[in-house]
Amino acid sequence: MKKFIYIFLIVIFSCEKDDICSETTQTTPRLVIEFYDIQAPDEILSVPGLFAIGLDAEGLEVPINNEIVTTRSSIALPLKTDDILTEFKIYKSYDLEDGVVTGNPDTIKITYDTENIYVSRACGYKTNFDIQTFSITADPSLWMISSEILITKITNENDIHVKILHL
Amino acid sequence: MKMTSMLRYFIYSLISCLSLCMSLHAQEENTQTTDSLVVKQKYGFRAGVDVSKVVRTFLESDYSGFELNADYRLSNKLYAAGEAGTEERTTSTDYLNSTAKGSYLKVGVDYNMYTNWVGMENMVYSGLRFGISNFDQTLNSYTIYDTNSSTWGLTEILESQEFTGLSASWLELIFGFKAEVLNNLFVGLNVQIKGRLSEKQPDNFENIYIPGFGRTFDSGNFGVGFGYNISYLVPLFKKAK
Repeated sequence: MKKFIYIFLIVIFSCEKDDICSETTQTTPRLVIEFYDIQAPDEILSVPGLFAIGLDAEGLEVPINNEIVTTRSSIALPLKTDDILTEFKIYKSYDLEDGVVTGNPDTIKITYDTENIYVSRACGYKTNFDIQTFSITADPSLWMISSEILITKITNENDIHVKILHL
Repeated sequence: MKMTSMLRYFIYSLISCLSLCMSLHAQEENTQTTDSLVVKQKYGFRAGVDVSKVVRTFLESDYSGFELNADYRLSNKLYAAGEAGTEERTTSTDYLNSTAKGSYLKVGVDYNMYTNWVGMENMVYSGLRFGISNFDQTLNSYTIYDTNSSTWGLTEILESQEFTGLSASWLELIFGFKAEVLNNLFVGLNVQIKGRLSEKQPDNFENIYIPGFGRTFDSGNFGVGFGYNISYLVPLFKKAK
């Protein structure tokens, strides 16, 4: 009988972890872009000094959480969950010296549908995205040459959703 | 808000457990008694209410509930028992707010493990129940869980969605006591450990709270509960044990 009381107490205490959303749970995913070589379209090519900044509806720059300037071949970008359009300015060779930004920024625009999916009691809902269009806004000195949507449904960050060919 | 409700829940549970321990302790001291007299005991129908649900209805803005309970003595130690009630409970977490509302029925047996002193008819019992619940759930609002929300901000959806025709069934193990404080008037405490057998879940949501069963957990089908009952016995006949 007393054993039951102990079991009962253990049950109560062990439950509390349920109220915290585990970091390993896939919640709202980011858009993952991978960069390829325009000369050899099947080969991944790193972008030196890659850096991304969000653009809000008025075209103002919005810093992206945890985004830092590094040389890498892929980038994960958070899409707006309350909108169906997000724009980013993506820099190649970004540098900031004495308040002056140098580098080559290209603007990308993603339009998509959203779907809110129930995850769990602790995590609530996440948003999955369905890419409708992906475009590189024309400017005189583009470093991104072309893009291809590989997977339209953004449900996790293990997939590569968009492939960009660059110089 | 969340901490206080957790704390309250914990205190309720602790009080229930303590009472049970004390009653068990009392039982151990009393079991030595033997008596050669033939003493007739009351048999009848006992009905009552769960006072804790009434109190919580008044104290907690996000809860209202009412439960009637009854048992009928079948033999010296065995009782047919059941509960029927309604509950409405709003659950608010960091990411969602939902209200469950519905009614439930539990049927089963109680087994008295307590050997009474002459002329006393108290119970320290364990019981088994089969419970069913029919309920609706309303998702009042939710916030999209997004670890990168610091870039664009949180998205909160305030359109409420109603999910009707939900149901669940479960098995329940009860431990408790009932003490006769006045002639035919009983006061009892019990704790319940539940295992869910089946449930009808809403589309793209989940049963957060099930009337009669209580809150659900992500990690399993179990549940816990407690009751504080005041009941009245209508004696129908007397029988020697």
